[in-house]
Amino acid sequence: MPPVQADNPEHAAELLARIASEQSRAAFAELFRHFAPRLQAYATRQFGNEQTAMDLVQETMANVWHKAHLFKPDRGSAATWIFTIARNIRFDFLRKNKHRQHDLSADDLWPVLAEENESLDDDYALDNDLLMQQLAVYTESLPKAQRIVIELIYVEGKSQQEVADALEIPLGTVKSRTRLALQKLKELIQHHD
Amino acid sequence: MIKFHPSEQHLVQYAMGELSPAMLMMVGSHVDMCPTCQMHLRDVEEQLCQKAFGQRQVPLAQLDEEAMLNAIFQSSVKPSAASSAPLETLSLEGKRFKLPATLARNGDRIGPWSKMLGKMWRAPIEIGSGETLNFIYMDQGAQVPEHTHRGFEATLVVNGVFNDESDEYRDGDFVLLDGHHKHTPQTQHEDCLTLATIDAPMHFTSGLSRLLNPFSSLFLK
Repeated sequence: MPPVQADNPEHAAELLARIASEQSRAAFAELFRHFAPRLQAYATRQFGNEQTAMDLVQETMANVWHKAHLFKPDRGSAATWIFTIARNIRFDFLRKNKHRQHDLSADDLWPVLAEENESLDDDYALDNDLLMQQLAVYTESLPKAQRIVIELIYVEGKSQQEVADALEIPLGTVKSRTRLALQKLKELIQHHD
Repeated sequence: MIKFHPSEQHLVQYAMGELSPAMLMMVGSHVDMCPTCQMHLRDVEEQLCQKAFGQRQVPLAQLDEEAMLNAIFQSSVKPSAASSAPLETLSLEGKRFKLPATLARNGDRIGPWSKMLGKMWRAPIEIGSGETLNFIYMDQGAQVPEHTHRGFEATLVVNGVFNDESDEYRDGDFVLLDGHHKHTPQTQHEDCLTLATIDAPMHFTSGLSRLLNPFSSLFLK
């Protein structure tokens, strides 16, 4: 047997990338040789049944083969990703067996294999990021005095009173600068739309 | 800022799928709302993975590598078992609430709203496990009479704020109470949408509200 390099997390991530980009069977076979026995040992401990354990290995690795593009290296290791796929499959196996009466599906609880556009949070975060970037650009175009007040309040989270104290200006001035700045920002956003 | 989180034990059991279905929904929804627990959960999954894959192996049936590889290469992509379209917002009385992703993905399980005592509403979430899992909506100035629990009560604030004798609970806060706690949840100037599960009927402890005890299973369970 060749040395098991898939033990190295970076190498395992690279194998997944090759499976995703070029459907590399060699890369998958290497990953399989490393993870299949581990999955088998895990599943045998969990189910105490060789056939069910084998089914879990087969189903988990089939998902790795088809869904390798969903692995996100910045969110954790390849091993953990594969483990969470196995966790989901185990959960659904157990649900179908009589001991657990409920009908939650693993994919609805842990969307490990959800395509990116199915994820609400990511969409939400993206929108939010874009909006923030755009707002930052607009803020740049405010008169300096207004921009400082806006940054202290909305970026640093200070109260209007704290801003007045920090800048040694009357509270009324902070309020009117905030109002003018927000009005200006609103116009910029509407104009842009 | 979220002040109240599920315990480490809850996160570990959540990551293993070992909580009750109702608690999986509760902890999952909290995690959706809580960046701290999201990070924590990733660590937990990493550790569980090391434990699962790192153990010395007992002798196993030989894997027929070639046959399995061939079967996998010839298999077709299975459609995801996930329910179709997530329910992004929940509506009640003209108000709309953004749902945490776990609840959104299970949106087809949410039953109709019904009015309870006072200024409170509830909508059940059908998870088929026989457990009670409800959205509870408290309008401004609503109060649940003082009560204890024979079992435990878990509450997640989805939107708004409520308080009891010991603290104030806001978006994302996860509160677990057992039979030792006596409390009187109430809202003041804001309304509050929570997700709640209890595993035994409430037991009302003060004044006239004790009259509710025979009916408490109708009230929340």
